[in-house]
Amino acid sequence: MFFENKQKKVESQITQYCDSVINCLDEFRNTFTEYCKSSDRAQLASDYTRVHKAESIADDIRREIEVMMYTKALFPESRGDILGLLETMDKVPNEAESAVRMILNQHIEIPEQFRPDILQLVDICHRCVSAMIESVNKLFSEFTNATVAIGKIDELESEADFIEENLIENIFASNIEGWRKLLLRDLVKRIAGVSDRAENVGDRVRIIVAKRRI
Amino acid sequence: MLSLSGGLFLGWALGSNDAANVFGTAVASRIISFRTASILCGLAVVTGAVLQGQEGIHTLSGLTEQTIRTLVITSLCAALTVTLMTILSLPISTSQAIVGAITGIGLATGYVNFSGLEKVVICWIATPVGAMFISFIVYKILGIIFTKIPMSMLTRDKILWSMLLVVGVYGSYALGANNVANATGIFSGQFKGITDTDLALFGGLAIAVGVITYSRRVMMTVGGGIMRLDAFAALVAVTSMAITVHIFAVVGVPVSTSQGIVGAIIGVGIIRGVHTIQYRMLRNIGVGWFLTPTISLILSAAGYAIFCRPIAG
Repeated sequence: MFFENKQKKVESQITQYCDSVINCLDEFRNTFTEYCKSSDRAQLASDYTRVHKAESIADDIRREIEVMMYTKALFPESRGDILGLLETMDKVPNEAESAVRMILNQHIEIPEQFRPDILQLVDICHRCVSAMIESVNKLFSEFTNATVAIGKIDELESEADFIEENLIENIFASNIEGWRKLLLRDLVKRIAGVSDRAENVGDRVRIIVAKRRI
Repeated sequence: MLSLSGGLFLGWALGSNDAANVFGTAVASRIISFRTASILCGLAVVTGAVLQGQEGIHTLSGLTEQTIRTLVITSLCAALTVTLMTILSLPISTSQAIVGAITGIGLATGYVNFSGLEKVVICWIATPVGAMFISFIVYKILGIIFTKIPMSMLTRDKILWSMLLVVGVYGSYALGANNVANATGIFSGQFKGITDTDLALFGGLAIAVGVITYSRRVMMTVGGGIMRLDAFAALVAVTSMAITVHIFAVVGVPVSTSQGIVGAIIGVGIIRGVHTIQYRMLRNIGVGWFLTPTISLILSAAGYAIFCRPIAG
């Protein structure tokens, strides 16, 4: 009976948290898709609200899990690992939200010629986070296989880095004004930051599994 | 009955030192609370002592001829040695302390059963070596179970927690069955109306009191001192130690759970890579093992010279 219900509750809350993170990333991708299609700022503001809401929901669930984990028993080592994992995961929706907020607050317009690459970067980041969620979910179903998805995260993160570098090079090689180049570069870096954060989560998962390797 | 107090003191000292070998890894890793561990350990020790402790009592009582006075000196000297080592947080062998003290008296009186002593000393070497080899086997078997069966990280924790409890209780049972002889074995046949079962019960209770009142310090040394143990390594170490000590309990030789657990932890360390072993702590434990029989031997021989010679003369 020891922490039987507790375990189920933690596992179900973490699944819920993973869903909320991926939901936030869905909103992030939709926002970029819509903005690249229409450049409509009113639409962007409304989309940002949805991203922000999704990020807040993820935050609330994370805090609930953290409080729950401190109030009831789990293996101290696992508790520390899970809390560290949640803290690292939290940076993923934060980064996604901040990329969208950046376009909104800094009135960034994405020139036509960079839109396909930016959308591709966003898509890769989304896939990278999906792989991250897969590896986290594996920890709570068959944890020894959690590292399989980490390979996918690494691969997608490298792909995102490659696109990021190319995009930045193309941005600076283009004829747009200098200040717009800097804004776009920062935006590209912020978007690619999502896959970097996902990779950090993958590293955490890798350590969690390695610590328990027999 | 007052003479038995030396044995009860030794039982208390044994409990305060040797419970660490059973639950130390789990308590130091904060997997089980000290309170839960000590209560479970105390209960299982008494059960083991009463149900399977007589064989070891029989072996130990035959090592040398004793009078009530020498019995008191023997048990007190052994208890003092163990207490000293416990204060130093070193997991030492109570068997070594009691055998050292018996041998000290034996040398002073000129009678030592060297064939019995030989059996005991061989078992001192066989205990850590045996526990090490058993830990290889246990590690492989448990490793297959935990690797092949898909499970959540938290389910794995739960299984490990439950198994550590079960194995801890089994180890405590083996501790009581094997080591009660160290506490009260030398008093076998010395008091009218007190059977070996009674001695096992008294010894078991004394060990249990030692476990509950003063075992936390050595637990922390065993649990974290030799190598940092995760729950799986702790499970392998305690299981291997319990099996080893139980085998010796059946054979009827009181051996050291300390030597068993240290051997088992080294076994796990070898499988995982020797870099995980803290050699400094290992050296301290080795020094403790050498000093224990030596100190108790000197103390008991000196005690005999001071308290028995004039009367005998």
